[in-house]
Amino acid sequence: MVTALLIVHGLVAVALLGAISHQALASWATVGARPGSFFGRFRSVHAPSFANAVVILYLASALLGGIIYLYFRVDIRPGLEQAGHWQTLGLFDIKEHFVSIGLALLPAYWVCWRRPRPDEPARLRVALTTIIAVIVWWGFLVGHVLNNLRGFES
Amino acid sequence: MTSSSAFRRFTLAYGLAFAVFYVVALKRDLALFTVYPSLGVVLLGTHHSQDITAPSMAFLAPAMYWYGWTATAALGALVFGLVAAILPERWTQRVWPDWQWVVPAFAMIACVYLTLPWFRLSPGFAK
Repeated sequence: MVTALLIVHGLVAVALLGAISHQALASWATVGARPGSFFGRFRSVHAPSFANAVVILYLASALLGGIIYLYFRVDIRPGLEQAGHWQTLGLFDIKEHFVSIGLALLPAYWVCWRRPRPDEPARLRVALTTIIAVIVWWGFLVGHVLNNLRGFES
Repeated sequence: MTSSSAFRRFTLAYGLAFAVFYVVALKRDLALFTVYPSLGVVLLGTHHSQDITAPSMAFLAPAMYWYGWTATAALGALVFGLVAAILPERWTQRVWPDWQWVVPAFAMIACVYLTLPWFRLSPGFAK
């Protein structure tokens, strides 16, 4: 059961990673890329249309992660502590803190993209998107490392 | 004051206040509740495993604080956000320049700082 949840969590995270990466790159530089290049196509998306998907995928990923975390604390973490993987556990703790901060930023992020005001500076929108992108990338990489170190049923 | 501008102020104030309250909750260990997943028990407030079982048996009842820290910060931020939403817009316009994103960014750095002790533990250390 928990392994299935972990796989779904990973798949949702991959989709979220793609969506937020597209949007972050598009918001950083919308012009100037060579039209035919891979990088140019990657970032030449309609950034606001990703906002709903990012919010939904982030919420789904956080919810799944929050459920899996209960099993992780009982079944996985004691083994990592006994093996002295303190640095890895520290990285995971940073992940959980970042995820919480990102959750709380989602409403502001959504408003900035979906209900922008004409007088609103783009800097805030770009910065919030970048922060959420950093959180998503950090969460994905640390989760991946942890799963490689000792996944469920290993 | 339109509802959309009030909602905008709420979302921004909530996000910023949450980041600050979360760091405070983490630093001061202020969890609204503590979860013991192996026992299926949730206790109001911050409790440590030694509080509910003998110290030598604490590993049998690992405590989880993340949910409680998040709930503490969410509660504080909710109050802050509601206050920001009901304040006149001309007041909050001075408070909400386009540098608001600095607050969560610094909160993330503070979380990393508060987690540094984990990285100083040697592999042979037994918790």
